[in-house]
Formats: sequence, C-alpha cells, structure tokens
Amino acid sequence: MFIQTETTADPDRLTFLPGQQVLPAGTLEITDPQAAVDSALAARLFEVPGVSRLVFGTDYITVTKDASDWQHLKPALLGAIMEHFMSGAPVLSETARSSSAETGPQDPTGLASKVKDALRRVIDPELGYNIVDLGLIYDIRVLDGGAVSVTMTTTTPGCPATSYLTEGARDCVLSVEGAVSAEIVLTHEPPWSPELMSGDAKAHLGIRTG
Amino acid sequence: MHGTNLSRWTMSYFVVALSALLLGEILMAAGYGFPSAPIRAPETLVLVHVVAIGWLSLLLCGALFQFVPVLIARPLYSDSLPLPTLLFIVAGLAGLVLGFLQRAGMIEAGVSPLPYAAASLTIGFSLALWNFGRTLCTVRPLTLPASFVAVALVCLAATVTLGVAFSLVLGLNIRHGALLKIAGQGLPLHLIAGIGGWLTFSAIGVSYRLLAMFMLSPECEGRRTQAVLWLGTTALAIAILGGLATLLFDKGVHLALLAGGVLGFAAVVLYGMDVLHLYRARKRRVIELNSQMAALALVSLAVAVVMVVVLIGLGQLSEQIGAVVFLLVFGWLSGLGLSQLYKIVAFLTWLECYGPVLGKTATPRVQDLVDETRARKWFVLYYLSVWAATAFLLAPYLLGFRLAVAAMIVATLGLTVHLARSRLLSQVSAQSGLPEGTRRPHLLVSIARPS
Repeated sequence: MFIQTETTADPDRLTFLPGQQVLPAGTLEITDPQAAVDSALAARLFEVPGVSRLVFGTDYITVTKDASDWQHLKPALLGAIMEHFMSGAPVLSETARSSSAETGPQDPTGLASKVKDALRRVIDPELGYNIVDLGLIYDIRVLDGGAVSVTMTTTTPGCPATSYLTEGARDCVLSVEGAVSAEIVLTHEPPWSPELMSGDAKAHLGIRTG
Repeated sequence: MHGTNLSRWTMSYFVVALSALLLGEILMAAGYGFPSAPIRAPETLVLVHVVAIGWLSLLLCGALFQFVPVLIARPLYSDSLPLPTLLFIVAGLAGLVLGFLQRAGMIEAGVSPLPYAAASLTIGFSLALWNFGRTLCTVRPLTLPASFVAVALVCLAATVTLGVAFSLVLGLNIRHGALLKIAGQGLPLHLIAGIGGWLTFSAIGVSYRLLAMFMLSPECEGRRTQAVLWLGTTALAIAILGGLATLLFDKGVHLALLAGGVLGFAAVVLYGMDVLHLYRARKRRVIELNSQMAALALVSLAVAVVMVVVLIGLGQLSEQIGAVVFLLVFGWLSGLGLSQLYKIVAFLTWLECYGPVLGKTATPRVQDLVDETRARKWFVLYYLSVWAATAFLLAPYLLGFRLAVAAMIVATLGLTVHLARSRLLSQVSAQSGLPEGTRRPHLLVSIARPS
C-alpha cells in the first residue's frame, strides 16, 4: 500500500491519499475525539498527539494539526492509516453509515444520488468543471418527504459567482423527480482546496498531485 | 460568508479607460508630449494625465468596484455611487486637459479650467474613496490583499491633494508660500503617491489574490508578504510625508526619496519572491493566457527596478527617469491591467449572461468566451513594442520610439477587438447560439438580476 501526501494552502493541514476509497460520497468533518466514535480510522488518528481535526473525502484524509511538527506527526499518521486499511475494517461504523447522506433509511429511493448526478449540470465558470467533481458539494441530505439539503462551498469566499452557483444548485435539486424542496447551505468551513477535487477534475485541469 | 454582486458600471469604466489608453498612445506616436516635449511641458502633462487618470485610474476603480468585495467577502457599500464617480472623474480629466492645452497656448480661455478640473476630480475620487473605505471598514482585520488596497487608497488621497495644490498655484495663481513650495518641488511626491502608492500598491494587492485564484496557488499570507506590506507602506510614508515635510522646511526632498527608495526596493524584491512562489507552487500546470501575460508585466517591473539601480550607479537617473516611468506605466501597470482585463471581461460577461441559467441548461465555460491563441500574438506584440520603446527612450532615438508606440497602438487595438468579441459573445454564439433565457450583454453596462 502506498500513501501519497499533499501539502495544502494552510501549513497546519496535510492531505493523505491512501489510494483507496475513504467515503462512498461527500465529506465528513470530525473535530474532536469524542465525535470519532463512529469511525475506527478517526479514533486511530486522534490517538496521535497533535491531531486537532480530520476531514474525510471520497479518496482523501485531511489532517489538521495544532502546534506539533509534521516531521514527528507524519510517520505516525502514515502508520495509523496504513494499519487501518490493511486491517480491512470499514472507515465508518454501521451506525454512522446508515445515518450518512445518500445511504440513509430516509432515502430509500436513492434521491441523494440523483441529486448528486443532477448537480453535475452546474459548472464553476472559472474552472469550467462541474461543482460535484470539483469538491464544492460537501453534503447532500434527504429529509422526510423529499426535502433536500445541500451543503456547498465556493472556490473562494466572496466569489462573484456565489449567488448564481447556489441558485443554480437549488434549481438543479428541484428539477429532480421526488425532490419537493431544496435548501442550499453555503459554508466556507472547511475552506475549499484543490485537494477536494475528484481524480477526473484534477486530470481535466492538469492539477499536480503528490 | 457572502457572495458579491456584479458591478453595474465596471464595463463602462473599462471602455472609457481603453479609449484613454489608445488616445495616450496616439499622442505619443504623433510626437505630442514626452519624449518629443520636455517632461514638465504642458503637452506632457496632457499625456501623463490622460494615461494616469483616464486609463490606469479608471481601469483600477472599475476593477476595484468588482473586486474589493471579493477581497473581503462583503458587498460594495454603494452600487449607485460608481456612475457619478465616473462622470466627475471624466469631467475633471477633460477640464485638466483643457487647462494644460491652455497653458500650451493651443486654446484660449478667459479663465483657467484647472481649479474646476481639480474640484471635479476631487469630488470623483472622494466618492470612490468613500465607497471603498466604507466597504473595507466592515471587516476587521483586513486580509493582506485588502490591506494593500487600503494603503493604496490613502495614497490616492495624497495624490489628489497634491494635484489640487498644483492647480491652485497654476490655475488661480495663488502665491501662498507652502503651496508655491509644493508646486515647485512636489512633482516627484505626486508621481510617487500616484504611480508607486495608488496604482502599484493596488496592483500588488489585487495580483496576490488574482494570481492565486487563477493558478490555484496557495495564498501568500506569511511573514514575507507582511514584510512587503509594511516595508512598502513605510517607504511610501517616508517618501511622501517625509518628502513633504523636508520640502516645506526648505531641506530638499532628496534624502526622503532616497530612504523611501531603499525600503521600496526591498519591498519590490520580496514581492518578486512571493510572485515566483505563486507561479512555482501553482496547482494548475497549464496556466491561462492572463496569468502567462501577467508574468511579462512582472518581468517589466523587475527590469524597471534593475534600471533604477543601474542608472543610479551611472549617475543618470534624473536624465533617464522618463524611460523608467514609461516602462513602469506601460510594461508593468498597463501590461498587468490588460492581461487581467482579458480575463475579467470574459468572467463578468459569463456571469451576466449565463449565471441566471446555471443549472437549468448547459452553459459554456469562461474560457469558451475567449480565443487565447489569437489574442496571444497581440499581447506579445504589445510587450515587445513597450520594451522596444523603452530601449529607444534610453538610446535616445525619437523616431524609433514613435514607431514602437505605433506598434503598441496596433497591439492595443487587437486586444480591444478581442475584449469586445468576448463581451459580445462572438466566440460562443457563433458556435452554439445563445441558450434560451440568455441575452447578449450590453457593451457598457452590466445588468445583473438581484441576488
């Protein structure tokens, strides 16, 4: 198993690419060890002193550190990630998986998955690629009766395209059969970074990896 | 967090600014003003103010009305002030040109238009300062790029104040002692506040953000960038305030200019290191034309700085200052402005036309609105002719300079056609037509739906 690492704009954050699926879709942010009970991987990573926050994506793990030094943290984190994936244990517990977006009991029709596909119609005008593969969609949740809540971000706070992107996303959600209402939540936490892009989007934009 | 709206009048600023750039280039090619006339001649003052106010200041104001909100993620204080701002500045510039033409003996008038021009420019720039200032005041602490813009705005106020002092002496013939001293020796301070403070500091601040955005580079927020801000601010304060104080106390401005120059040199060197980092650390391997051409503007800045050092060493800075200022104005500031204009016009046009149908129908990319291959040759011609014109100024070889500026006119016209084609969606509508629910944007005004 080979784990790549990528630096980020924030020197306190480092992204690990294990070369395997981390989450089936979306992102998951875990800010403290107490919240890591539903993820064996998160619990293992929080055991490394100096880890303050984790973000899991489909193919990456971004670790935020406190005042510690990457020189000491990185080997321990690489070891923890490798041990986890070699063990074959799932990233999320069954409880967590059943309550997460797109696979939850409230979404037996696969509405979240349809919404995700529909959102690929919305492109970021500057990068010229769809907002799903760019990693701008953080979460899709289907609530009772077909209410859909999408948490998304923009490539930069204050982006002049923000209102068009959120309204385009809303229109897209409402165009999906079964979606009766759409709530678009705009957030910049965690801030977007190129590491959140899918492999296809990175290849399209010629993004450097490694 | 907030998104920002389209600035309604930014395109109007750009159209007037490009017209002024072409006018300035035509004047130089026709042998009007520097270098065909002395630096302090009224003909040169016409040329300088057409370029500095008509082209660069309007370009920057138009861009900042759109991008100050991006820098701080807050909406612009007032969307209705930019139009009167534009009208007052254009009227003031027209009055200024008439006043200098009168002094050159080309027109006759009973009274000097200079004080009225100064009043109109003061109102126009005060409106801009009020709008930008109130917008920036909503955020504490300011981001680093916004801090550069804030310092630049203070320098704009200093530039206008010094300009008013000149107009009172030249236009109203006021013989007040302090005003006479400023009018007699304050020109370098006016130049430093305008080109070094207002225009260059704004360009530096905006470039930090735009280059990082367009190339997907990590934002520069470290100690080196802070050093650029503080060294640059201190350099400007020493040169402008120190220079003014020494001038008023009859001590001469040279020491203040030298001290400010040393710190300013250090700031520019550190800025250059930051920019190199932005290009080297970029995630996008293949960068777009605007980022490629911005690099040539940065090369022009570096060459201008080296020229200053070499000319000081040769003891020829005062003789060759015109060549240095020419390279800074047309290579660095205008080159950066044109390269970013190429992207900004396409981006704003895309938002206005396709933003409302995003998610409802397939939309082109911003890149589809431009033709980089064809535009590249005009940018290359522009920079080559600017560098050639600078060399002819140093030589000095007047005919060569005028021919090089003629090439600049051709290049600027070529780029203007590309900007207009981008704005009028000529590239995309020829290929696929306009999707339902979209309309061709107006050349001068952005009509955005409320968000």
